[in-house]
Amino acid sequence: MTPSIFRDPDLSLVEKLRHVSLSFLLLMTLVACCGFLALYSAGGGSFQPWALRQVYRFLLGLLVLLGVSLVDIQFWLRMAYPLYGVTLFLLFVVDVFGHIGMGAQRWISIGGFQLQPSEVMKITLVLALARHFHAATWEGAGRIKPLLLPALLVLAPVALVMKQPDLGTAIILLALGGVMFFLAGVRLWMFGAILGLGAASLPLAWRFMHDYQKKRVLTFIDPQSDPMGAGYHILQSKIALGSGGFFGKGFLNGTQSHLNFLPEKQTDFIFTLIAEEWGLLGCSILLFLYALVIAYCFLIGLRARNHFGRLLSLGLGTNLFFYVFINVGMVMGILPVVGVPLPLISYGGTAMLAVLWGMGYVMCVSIHRDVRLSRTGQFED
Amino acid sequence: MGFHIRKSRVTIHGQPVHQPDAPTSDIEMARIRLIAVGLIFLCAWLVIAGRLGMLTFSESPQKPAKTTSTQVVIKPGTPRATITDRNGQILATSLATASLFADPRNLPDADEATTRLVETFPDLDRDDVFKKLSGKQHFVWIKRNLTPRQQADVLRLGIPGLDFQKEERRVYPAGNLTAHIVGYTDIDGNGIAGIEKSFNDELATHPAPLRLSLDLRIQSILHEEIRKTIKRFSALGGSGLVLDTRNGEIIAMASLPDFDPHDPGKASDDARFNRASLGVYEMGSTFKMFTAAAALESGQALPTDLYDARKPLKVDRFTIRDSHPESRWLSMPEVIMYSSNIGAAQIALQTTTPIFRAYLEALGLTQRAPVELPEVGAPLVPSRWRDINTMTIAFGHGLAVNPIQMASAFSAVITDGILHAPTLVAGKNDNATSPRIFSEKTVMTMRKIARLVVSEGTGKQAAAEGYVVGGKTGTAEKAAGRGYNRKANLSSFLSAFPMQDPRYVLLVSIDEPKGIPETYGFTTGGWVAAPAIGEIIGRMAPLLGIRPFDETAPEIASGLYIDPAPTKGGRQIVVF
Repeated sequence: MTPSIFRDPDLSLVEKLRHVSLSFLLLMTLVACCGFLALYSAGGGSFQPWALRQVYRFLLGLLVLLGVSLVDIQFWLRMAYPLYGVTLFLLFVVDVFGHIGMGAQRWISIGGFQLQPSEVMKITLVLALARHFHAATWEGAGRIKPLLLPALLVLAPVALVMKQPDLGTAIILLALGGVMFFLAGVRLWMFGAILGLGAASLPLAWRFMHDYQKKRVLTFIDPQSDPMGAGYHILQSKIALGSGGFFGKGFLNGTQSHLNFLPEKQTDFIFTLIAEEWGLLGCSILLFLYALVIAYCFLIGLRARNHFGRLLSLGLGTNLFFYVFINVGMVMGILPVVGVPLPLISYGGTAMLAVLWGMGYVMCVSIHRDVRLSRTGQFED
Repeated sequence: MGFHIRKSRVTIHGQPVHQPDAPTSDIEMARIRLIAVGLIFLCAWLVIAGRLGMLTFSESPQKPAKTTSTQVVIKPGTPRATITDRNGQILATSLATASLFADPRNLPDADEATTRLVETFPDLDRDDVFKKLSGKQHFVWIKRNLTPRQQADVLRLGIPGLDFQKEERRVYPAGNLTAHIVGYTDIDGNGIAGIEKSFNDELATHPAPLRLSLDLRIQSILHEEIRKTIKRFSALGGSGLVLDTRNGEIIAMASLPDFDPHDPGKASDDARFNRASLGVYEMGSTFKMFTAAAALESGQALPTDLYDARKPLKVDRFTIRDSHPESRWLSMPEVIMYSSNIGAAQIALQTTTPIFRAYLEALGLTQRAPVELPEVGAPLVPSRWRDINTMTIAFGHGLAVNPIQMASAFSAVITDGILHAPTLVAGKNDNATSPRIFSEKTVMTMRKIARLVVSEGTGKQAAAEGYVVGGKTGTAEKAAGRGYNRKANLSSFLSAFPMQDPRYVLLVSIDEPKGIPETYGFTTGGWVAAPAIGEIIGRMAPLLGIRPFDETAPEIASGLYIDPAPTKGGRQIVVF
């Protein structure tokens, strides 16, 4: 990156740094700290093997966040389609050559670094849709033909992710696209039509689902039917949630998680550990913190004077919401088990970096809130 | 709120139209939509909060159950009850053992303790043990279920902070042989499969041994013969069942491949799967016995009725063919003897769908078998039962049932017309009254037909000299996608002996046998499963005290004879 992209007709780098929202950063750090503590506990009261590495990742992620946010928003507007294109290509590569990780092809190795393009896709999809609707008119959003391109933008990665197969991420991408369409002003009857089509195609989707996916849905409906198999996770996490009580069992004193009843306790199911040790109170505080982060994304979006920034910020806030809602819902047995991490808390490099990278854009929108952008991505004077 | 709205470009007939209030409505819509999304998110959050509260303040139903059974196990003096076969042979029993744990805070030197422990138990992982011992918990397991010698070794180390918890270990002397039936327990002694699971509470609280209906000797014979057959035909697997016709007690039940109940975690899902109870299969031609019995008993058909098997039967888009076409009119016994699908379909249709279905229901073929295992597969019954379903079910396709259902229904057809609930517990049905489904007349005709299959039909290789075997072969094509795979068969033989007064029903099913030169490449039930049945009967009958009969004696030979040839004056049935 050349320094020129940091230059701006209105804002100097120093001014930008002054615009960085410290309260937003603090909120995210608080959430991440909950994660460090939980991982410390999951490691049996030790910084190894998880907590310390997670701290490093968070710090690295914060640097990424600041880097992204200080770049001109105009640059990101121009880069939206190329970034999307690269991610789509990576998704395609994963489908073809990806490493087999946990039974599904989701990872790609770039120079020893493991990358999960579907996580990146959530962000670049929001970028691309924001770019598209920035240039589109409200009236355009009301008719069908101009919507074909954005619909393709959503469906192409959805198809590739389904192929992996990663049903959870595919549904999130679809929902994310739906919310973006909705916020961009697409007519309501079209949503009705698409929902109708979707409902009609459910039996067809069932046919194409893998056995393990079907099993998860069936176990979700009746976890007792297979307590030692696919229902195990859900039952154990429900027990953990129930056993925490109001104040929890206390830090480092969870049994479900420490006695290894819970596999994958450090990743997708970490919320159960938190629930058991910190109880209803701790969970409520954590969920409140998440709600604040998401609300911040929305407020920043509302405050933005350019359509691109507004949609970008709202979309990324929505993305964060889906992460949290699906993960927590799954752990509580409201939703079927799908592999979605708890953002900023679950142990994992790509997820942590992807979330903070996305939040970097929100910060970027916040810094450039008063910048006006033309349809084509030029500054309006 | 700083909404920046661009001018909308509205055109009518290509002319730009000025729309002064468009921006306001845009801004309104954008705001309304944003609020809508926000509200939806808020609702989702409330749902989560509500669920969190629910889980916190409602007692989890699993939790108390788990605690009580754990207490039962740990309480000294009440070991988990033994499980035996019908002759008192032990199938599962509990041994007292000690499990080693540590309180890391009382350990003087975690590093030293780790070294000594790993020396004593070379299978322990050093890093793992050290991590446990240097942690801050009050209680960590080091190794479960030590032998007395191992316990003495640890005591000799003299390390403070180590202690033992009395536990018990479940031992299965018969090992793989009864693994699918007896099941296994988890490390805390709770039954998690088989009889161990279904009788978990009784075994944990009542000290008296649980006596199963199994006979370990017969189980061993059945197991061995099925294993040999699977090997001979390079099959994927197989299952078998021996049922006492007088009370529905299961004398033997085998499913291969099998597993070691002491280490079920190592076994594949396929090995742990009980084909005899959990598997449901389209059983093919063995089903024709039920078709004929229902037709006779309902009075819709006579044994002398004739059926047109001259050409394949076309119904809608289906064509029903015979694998060994006789291409002529067949009598009812001939339909079974030559295993004519065309004939069976017509017999079922002659019975009419409601009556046919009612008989299958009465025989328990449409409901889950009431056997005392947690792993019992529910039959796959057509959701809408039309005439075409009746016609295919007549020869065992389109209704998938498990081997237990097959054997117990067959027992009713050829013994006394009474359906005994199949059971694995000895003496369970001694005082039970079971429904009578078939009259003596129907039963006698069915016995004759079953005997005909072995004396002259497709089941000749099941004939164990002197034991008057009768039965029906079945070669079901396995379902593959939307159709059937002709190459992949489930080859079965459903049989009973001695036919003049059947005492035992046997069923052997072999999954995907491959043709071999000795069978001229055939993989049918008659070539694969029937010889195994013959071997099993020949070995088990003497053990059960059944003496061989003179099969040529008139009361047996003529008493069980039915002339398959079409008699003059038989009704030519035209249902089509």
